[in-house]
Amino acid sequence: MNPPQSNPTPTNPPAEKAQAAPAVVVTVTLPPAGAELLARSTLPFRAVEHSLKGYHLDATVTPDQVAAAAAELDREGFALDTITGVDWLAESQMEVSYDYFHPLTGLRAVVRSRTARENAEFPTISTVFPGATWHERETHDFFGIGFSGHPNLAPFLLPEDATYHPLRKDFVP
Amino acid sequence: MEAQDEQILKDCAPFVRFGKLDELLDLGRANSLWPLTFGLACCAIEMMAAGASRFDLARFGAEVFRPSPRQADVMIVAGTINKKMASAVKTLYDQMPEPKWVIAMGNCAISGGPFVFPGQYAVVEGVDKLFPVDVFIPGCPPRPEALIEGLLKLEEKLTGKRRWPVVKAE
Amino acid sequence: MLKEQITDTAPSEAPRETFVLNLGPQHPATHGVLRVKLTMDGEFVTRAEPICGYIHRMQEKMGENRSYAQFLPNTSRIDYLSAMMYTHAFVGVVERAAKLQVPPRAEYIRVITSELNRISSHLVWWGAFLLDLGGFTPLLYAFDDREKILDLLEAITGARLTYAYFRIGGLYNDVDQAFIDGSRAFVSHMRPRLKMYRELVTDNIILRKRLIGIGPVSGEMCRKYGASGPVIRGSGIPYDVRKSEPYSAYPDFDFEIPCFTEGDSMARYLVRLEEIAQSLRIIEQALDRLPAGPVMAEKVPRVLKLPAGDYCYATEAARGRFMVRLVSDNKEIPYRVKLRTPCLSNLSLFEEASQGMLLPDALAFMGSLDLVIPDIDR
Repeated sequence: MNPPQSNPTPTNPPAEKAQAAPAVVVTVTLPPAGAELLARSTLPFRAVEHSLKGYHLDATVTPDQVAAAAAELDREGFALDTITGVDWLAESQMEVSYDYFHPLTGLRAVVRSRTARENAEFPTISTVFPGATWHERETHDFFGIGFSGHPNLAPFLLPEDATYHPLRKDFVP
Repeated sequence: MEAQDEQILKDCAPFVRFGKLDELLDLGRANSLWPLTFGLACCAIEMMAAGASRFDLARFGAEVFRPSPRQADVMIVAGTINKKMASAVKTLYDQMPEPKWVIAMGNCAISGGPFVFPGQYAVVEGVDKLFPVDVFIPGCPPRPEALIEGLLKLEEKLTGKRRWPVVKAE
Repeated sequence: MLKEQITDTAPSEAPRETFVLNLGPQHPATHGVLRVKLTMDGEFVTRAEPICGYIHRMQEKMGENRSYAQFLPNTSRIDYLSAMMYTHAFVGVVERAAKLQVPPRAEYIRVITSELNRISSHLVWWGAFLLDLGGFTPLLYAFDDREKILDLLEAITGARLTYAYFRIGGLYNDVDQAFIDGSRAFVSHMRPRLKMYRELVTDNIILRKRLIGIGPVSGEMCRKYGASGPVIRGSGIPYDVRKSEPYSAYPDFDFEIPCFTEGDSMARYLVRLEEIAQSLRIIEQALDRLPAGPVMAEKVPRVLKLPAGDYCYATEAARGRFMVRLVSDNKEIPYRVKLRTPCLSNLSLFEEASQGMLLPDALAFMGSLDLVIPDIDR
């Protein structure tokens, strides 16, 4: 049976836009460590209900702030979970979201950032989290997003001579 | 033949057999097929289970998995072949000395398996696109009994005879 | 043993040079198609660069081409040894986004089957690890125990390895009394076996000499690389998703998180064997308290469309923290499926941690990380 075709022009998701986040929503109950972090953090975190979304804190920053965000979360004791690229073709933007988890308190934080789709580039966080080298290589493989300052952006999962970026929405094999 | 020679053959029959050397060599090869350890993905675990205690490939002479292709007779391709991996697989096949055989185990080795979709960019759709295959074993993953049946089919291809007949469902 | 600890008795006048040794992609000890480019100074590794991608099967791209129910078979094949837990994360994220209530009986059975799967995965790891270290016999014992688990799971799911037993909203099939009795029989069979394994293998002097002090990884290094599972628990940090982000029916059960502080390969080995014992505890408690009721949620829509936005769900797989990050744009198929797999983060610390190690020690270290390569390449 034929699977439904991948939609090349997706609709805009509401409310998760790359703008300054509003203040804490009253109905969300954060664990105590999360509330403390929210109070002292310089990042524009907002509290999120974990049972609905799977993370506690969510911040949207501009691309040049991602390295500082990583450094702050590193000081707080977070570990890098993963780096996800998303291709918003309709809005002509590339989004990169950085997931972090705290091994001692179990908190989950997400830092996301968007930039223009053409020649998308973000600063690397591999100087803060060495584990990011592979995640950034993979995101570059799949989307063509550049990470300035990265030691080695060679293809990671694709063949060494690959020049294509398969998870882009306009990719034709 | 003269009657005397026929009588000698009849007397010797309990002790001496006559046959073609080729058939003897084929029987020897069939009963000691040495596989190459070439587990790529999920099917590799069922191949290991086939070599382990319950299903026991050692009964059929095929327990000795060789890591080096120079010492192996049969390459059991267990798993998905990637375009990045394809040249390595071909090199391994070329390094195996003759006579050699290939068993394609699992749907991925037969035709790309569940990873074929319109717009796929990384999977080689079947190992027979790279080199000739002797036995195809379908399944995702095939049971260890299916791998044993595949080996018996290969033995049948070599010798012309099966060890025991195919089990028929009642 | 590190290079600094060996002093040359007759220092050579000739300049030392390194050579490049290629390990894999076809190799008996790499547990799949991993290629490691080793730069060697004699027997010592000066640089180990893992090269992945030889089993890249486009799982994330397929997520964008399949509806939510059609992606379920893929979830079993990412890490085929702990397939239940991976399917659990995917159905969990869809249920979380669609706000579906899974009945308690289904949650309990999910926990029982996941823990059985965890035991069978650790048994495969244990057998293969000892095979790498040169002992062939434990593999046969481990696979024999594993066949008992596979018989139980095959009776209810129909598959031995790549189950697609969980469905969005519950389970596809209920369990019968034979499964419950068989699981109890397995728990009582496995406990004496663990004791035998400890006496024969864990306390074996050769194994101890090969693992104690090999591949020390600090908790800080685990944090920097995002390592999880037995790797971080062997380095002194008791991080387990079942306790830090409790999901499914795990809050109902009483179990401990085995944690050792040495950070060497022996610590990671002991963590996994202890986890088998803890999984047996969980299975017993779940069987004792298994609630009656349906195994499928009511009113699961035939055509499932999730509200727009992104959702995450993490489970503790046999190898570590597995998370699915789903981005939806209110269509029948996901917009983006991101699979956060434990083996990628666990292997990423190999390059830094293996510098200066002897080659056999580097392989013992890699075996103690418990890698399944399709988990890295997806």
